Amino acid sequence: MNGGSRPTVSVIIPVTERFDDVRELYFRYRDALRESGLDFEITYVLDGRYPDVLEALKGLLRDGERLRAVTLSRPFGEATAIMVGFNHSSGDLILTLPAYEQIEPSGIPRLLEGLREQDLVAARRWPRIDSRFNQFQAAGFHFLLNRITGLHFHDMGCGARAFKRRVLEEITLYGDQHRFFPVLAFHQGFRVSEIDVPQSPRDAHQRLYGFGVYLRRLLDMLSVFFLTKFTKKPLRFFGLLGSGVFALGAVLIVYLVVQRLVGDVPLSDRPLLLLASLLVVLGIQIFAIGLVGEIIIFSHAKDIKDYTIDEIIG
Amino acid sequence: MGPETVSECTPVPGAGVDLSVVVPFFNEEENVRPQHERIAAVLDRLALRCQMVFVDDGSGDRTWSQLRAVAAGDSRVRAIRFRRNYGQTAAMTAGIEHADGTILLTMDGDLQNDPEDIPRLLEKLDEGYDIVVGWRHRRQDRLLTRRIPSRVANWLIGKVTGVPVRDNGCSLKAYRARLIRMIPLYSEMHRFIPAMTSLAGARIAEIRVNHFSRRYGQSKYGLSRIYRVLLDLLAIKTLLSSAAHPLLWFGTLAGAALLISLGALLAALVNPWSLPGNPVLISMGISLLFGSLAAFAMFSGVFSELVYWTGDVRIERLSEVTAEVLDGGIAEGGV
Repeated sequence: MNGGSRPTVSVIIPVTERFDDVRELYFRYRDALRESGLDFEITYVLDGRYPDVLEALKGLLRDGERLRAVTLSRPFGEATAIMVGFNHSSGDLILTLPAYEQIEPSGIPRLLEGLREQDLVAARRWPRIDSRFNQFQAAGFHFLLNRITGLHFHDMGCGARAFKRRVLEEITLYGDQHRFFPVLAFHQGFRVSEIDVPQSPRDAHQRLYGFGVYLRRLLDMLSVFFLTKFTKKPLRFFGLLGSGVFALGAVLIVYLVVQRLVGDVPLSDRPLLLLASLLVVLGIQIFAIGLVGEIIIFSHAKDIKDYTIDEIIG
Repeated sequence: MGPETVSECTPVPGAGVDLSVVVPFFNEEENVRPQHERIAAVLDRLALRCQMVFVDDGSGDRTWSQLRAVAAGDSRVRAIRFRRNYGQTAAMTAGIEHADGTILLTMDGDLQNDPEDIPRLLEKLDEGYDIVVGWRHRRQDRLLTRRIPSRVANWLIGKVTGVPVRDNGCSLKAYRARLIRMIPLYSEMHRFIPAMTSLAGARIAEIRVNHFSRRYGQSKYGLSRIYRVLLDLLAIKTLLSSAAHPLLWFGTLAGAALLISLGALLAALVNPWSLPGNPVLISMGISLLFGSLAAFAMFSGVFSELVYWTGDVRIERLSEVTAEVLDGGIAEGGV
């Protein structure tokens, strides 16, 4: 690697349960990166023990390839693997790539070029060559996500993303957040865009997940929703929800009391009274949760910056 | 803890600025230069060391290059650029945080406020007030979509918060820097600054100010604000009544829930009101529900107290800022 003023690209490849032939993919990535004309360093982060992968990487090292491999002592998740890789990297530009054939590496130089105008460029596998079913469930997922966030992303499932160093300096990814990294980056005030990259033919297999996976995606989306929309005003959301539930319960109680007074139906014969009380209690509890959240924000407002400053003159 | 707090709210030493004028801009490329010229003309006449803090709230037009040019030509200008649009409160907050003055003055970037009002606001402040709020008494906006909703909102805000300010939406305000820096401003709190400062026992004055119609650009607000203002109002009211002593607030809630629970328990066990039918099951259910609510409220109260205790915004500290001190010095002992 030569010095000079050219920016260096740090490539992070997190290895989790899904991975393809390490050696072959390494060379394909390497050749594509060479085409970009930038200096690069490649860091593999093994999320847990993967002896086969480690052996293959050692083989590449013996062949004189320049790469780095970090092995985590147990699986921490892809987001953490990316953060570890980031901490071991030094480049001005960071590129995360999947450890399996997902995109055609020929699209990589264009991802990096996109960083001239953007802070983060996410790859979108397009045109899609996989089954209608895959495309359908992906479309459903992104329709929901875009409705929630008000943004326009098409492929959160693609692990190939190029971004500037300062993006991850400001955002700490954890849990399953790597999937929503572009959304979080946008929320932090960075310029984010998607670029079409051809899909790898080996990525075209049918994907039908277990019920738990779909549930997790849904919960992930919920957390992104709160992280991006309501972190600064919890009482607005919980207050509205709590008041609504409370009002429903109150109306039911009034209805029962009127029936008691006019129609002489004894209250103690009405199981509906239990439901109404439950709604009242639930409404108050939801409101109280919102208030606790609001007190947290209020009393820690000095630590929580509402904005990010780009530049100050004078 | 005392000395820390003091150093937080005193201005940067050596900066020596008396007055900072904070102006947020969002897509106001035509208004930057005229606004700067008009403010500068007024500041030149004042016998104060002045500063202008201009904040570009992530404009998509040439606002920032205009601000750069203005800052290059006038050493009193500090320009701040947001990475993207964060809203007026955030822009005001950033401006306030980066201002060095002992008096801070905020105004809109769209030329609707009149810088000629600045001296009058300062005079009023000198009379011993902590905040002077502008009141656009001859407002140049649409009656139906702007002025009437605003009337309703202000009346509501005044009634609910107990701080009857006629025009909360007017950006033209003057503050003592020590006070405003201690008020947590987040989300869309700028509309409630007078209510928030009343927590600190601030002396609030209101004076009539001029208001012009927009010359350039588009108005960025409309009717849809009303619903958000209502929600914010609910939030503020609850927050203001509970933040300083959350345990008391939640304790009261728990007490009320416990009373209902006990009443229902009595109905279930003794049935003193000789309710007809079979009241045991339903009364017992209600008793348990409200009993659990009481427990939940108590835990929430303890938790909130802990949160408030560890936070750095403490309402009781605000008392320092607005306290009046009569100091006759130390009496001499002996003869």
